[in-house]
Amino acid sequence: MFRKIVAHTSGLQFLMEDLDLRSPMGRRCLLDSKMMCCKNEIATELNLVDQLVQILDLNSDLIFKIQNKLMHCRDIRGSVNNLLGNLVLDDVELFEIKVFALLAQEIVELQKEEKQSFLEIQDLSELIRLLDPQNTKIPSFYIYDNYSEELAEARKELKLAKSKNGDSDFEIEALFSKSQAIEAKVREDLCSKISLHGAGLANALQQLAHLDLLIAKAVQAKKWNFSKATVSEGNTIYRGLFNPMIKNELANQNKDYQAIDIELESSVCVITGANMAGKTVVLKTLALCQYLFQFGFFVPAASAQISIVDQVMISVGDEQSELNGLSSFASEMLNVSRMVKDSKSHKNVLVLIDELARTTNPVEGLAIVNAVADIFYEGKIRSVITTHYSGLKSKFRKLRVKGLDKDLGANVITHKNINSYMDYSLVEDLEGEVPHEALRIASLLGIDKEIIDRAQNQLASKNKL
Amino acid sequence: MPFLNDIDKYSSLSIVGLEKNTGKTECLNYVLSRLRDSRKQIALTSIGIDGENRDQVTQTNKPEIELSEGMIFVTSELHYKQRKLISEVIDVSRQSTSLGRLVSAKALTKGKVLLSGPVSNHSIKELIADLKNKGVELCIVDGALSRKSIGSPAVTEAMILATGAALSANITQLVYKTKYVYDLIQLPEIEMKLKTQLSEVDNGIWAIDSEGKFQDTGISSVLLIQKEKDKLFQHGNCFFVSGAVTDQFLDFLKNQKQISEIKLIVRDFTRVFASPETYYAFVKRGGRMQVLNKTNLLAITINPVSPDGYRLNSDELKNALQEKVNVPVYDIKKL
Repeated sequence: MFRKIVAHTSGLQFLMEDLDLRSPMGRRCLLDSKMMCCKNEIATELNLVDQLVQILDLNSDLIFKIQNKLMHCRDIRGSVNNLLGNLVLDDVELFEIKVFALLAQEIVELQKEEKQSFLEIQDLSELIRLLDPQNTKIPSFYIYDNYSEELAEARKELKLAKSKNGDSDFEIEALFSKSQAIEAKVREDLCSKISLHGAGLANALQQLAHLDLLIAKAVQAKKWNFSKATVSEGNTIYRGLFNPMIKNELANQNKDYQAIDIELESSVCVITGANMAGKTVVLKTLALCQYLFQFGFFVPAASAQISIVDQVMISVGDEQSELNGLSSFASEMLNVSRMVKDSKSHKNVLVLIDELARTTNPVEGLAIVNAVADIFYEGKIRSVITTHYSGLKSKFRKLRVKGLDKDLGANVITHKNINSYMDYSLVEDLEGEVPHEALRIASLLGIDKEIIDRAQNQLASKNKL
Repeated sequence: MPFLNDIDKYSSLSIVGLEKNTGKTECLNYVLSRLRDSRKQIALTSIGIDGENRDQVTQTNKPEIELSEGMIFVTSELHYKQRKLISEVIDVSRQSTSLGRLVSAKALTKGKVLLSGPVSNHSIKELIADLKNKGVELCIVDGALSRKSIGSPAVTEAMILATGAALSANITQLVYKTKYVYDLIQLPEIEMKLKTQLSEVDNGIWAIDSEGKFQDTGISSVLLIQKEKDKLFQHGNCFFVSGAVTDQFLDFLKNQKQISEIKLIVRDFTRVFASPETYYAFVKRGGRMQVLNKTNLLAITINPVSPDGYRLNSDELKNALQEKVNVPVYDIKKL
């Protein structure tokens, strides 16, 4: 469910907060939505979003009007449940139902006027007629005199008694109870009549929530230049992939985000590259896009074909483990072990592991990377592992971040402008030799010069041997 | 029609009792009865719970609030169900209070209701603004001057104060205590520019230095003053205290040698919890106090009868109080 996934997926929370949801039920609809794994389901949802994106272009006024109505909608789930449970509702609940029904009907009318219909919303005019016997369309409610002549009569009597100051309180009390008793009966009748519309009301509530969500998705897609991905039966292919949260942050600093292209086969793929080359961001963005796609959102890419998976598993090593009494290595290993086990039981998964076995010695670390990659290779598991280790088996597909390849000219790189000189694009790498740029990056970050010098001496003496 | 012509100028009015049984509800009913013939759309609400049939504390009878046809009232769901009139729901709040959501309704017949309302300053302000949008011309708030409530009646433009024998059975004492509250209500308001800036602040003690800049003294509450006295004067002698001003704090300020330069800004008169003795000593030595929100006091009503049956001489009380204050004083029982 979205509610669970949003908590531990980087970037998803950001996009959820960015969504322009107008009604409380729209938000609930999103949080309760399930990850879709059926091709048709995803395609239908994406088509609806697409339809709204187009209407936003052609007739944004209509969307604006609908959003305005949605803003006034309350989540009346409680009252609807009471109605479906055949309970007698009080004035406040009936008021809520009436206001909701009026708004829903107005949205239906708006769609009709503009000859645009995105979602079938139940016609509630019969229900409105029941709750608005005076046909005023004003959002207010009480048990109207029109419901029963007997009630009208009793109220008239009460009013008369009140205006005559001579009558005792006792008498007025008696008249008031009498009108209350009639009112209770009228209310019962009314509730049993409108309970026939309970299912329709529940449907309209659901549809409006969905409409709110669809509009929010479309607005977001337009704002960020997201695109509609298509379902792929084979490789997952992204062109111009970007991470919206980081792009936003960079834009705030007047910097550009370099979008990348990536293609994932149904096998293992190892990404290498210098530090600060954006490997972790690639992994996080891949996880984010997979979720966005399967929750029916457009994705942050120029174009995308995405293969549906049953589950996304990611290890980026920022989990807190001290509290469990585990070292960072232990907690990573347990996590990876679970991923391997899960991927064996159902194959259609996306596994993303950042810098596998980085917290142990390079000799055994490399062995672990090779072992895990081998399992994924043989099992044809769609997976991406990033690493700094050289000496990976040549049969694995490897991608390398280009890194600091751009022509520097006379410019001096610092950690502040490194972003402009780093080439983040991924290239197929046949050699398997990882770039040795750690010291260079470290010195750019302005770390203590003594550390760099000593490390360089160390390397030089080793090379001599 | 005493003090009612003044009401015309304002769009919100609170009626505040200095103590339980000082005749606040009677005063409210009086105001409502006099407004009955005006063509204004009137709305009525309360801060916290009020309008119980019987007084929750002393178990004495309390007059109920009588609405006339066409008035709007705001109360909690629970109290809405107990209303003794026919009314039409026109709105339900999104936020909930301990007694359920707040229901706004229009009375279709006259009759009695129990009132309860929003608890915080912010939500009262919001409610008043919302009612104005609905076409309400005068919003009356039944305001308890409770030390427990965070909502303050000072958010309304105008106010009527109810005092009486329930506060003290001794006329001199009663006048003294009432005059004290009167003096606090009359504290001058700070200038507009400062007001907008200070409205944002919601905790701690802030200093305003000689250049008019805000400086956080780093003291988060007046209650911690004993331990952090040294920090207080680092940015000068003008302070804004967002929360309560205690007796201890005012006493501490009063004893400083630069007392004549000290200026203290409080949110509104309900935030001063100091005893009258300390306050007057503070002022006498040259200390100054100002408020962020000032309300216009229209009148003071007196109830010479205390809940335990004690009865003060109405005229004597009225004259004694009238001598001290610059607003009209009325006996609620004689109106």
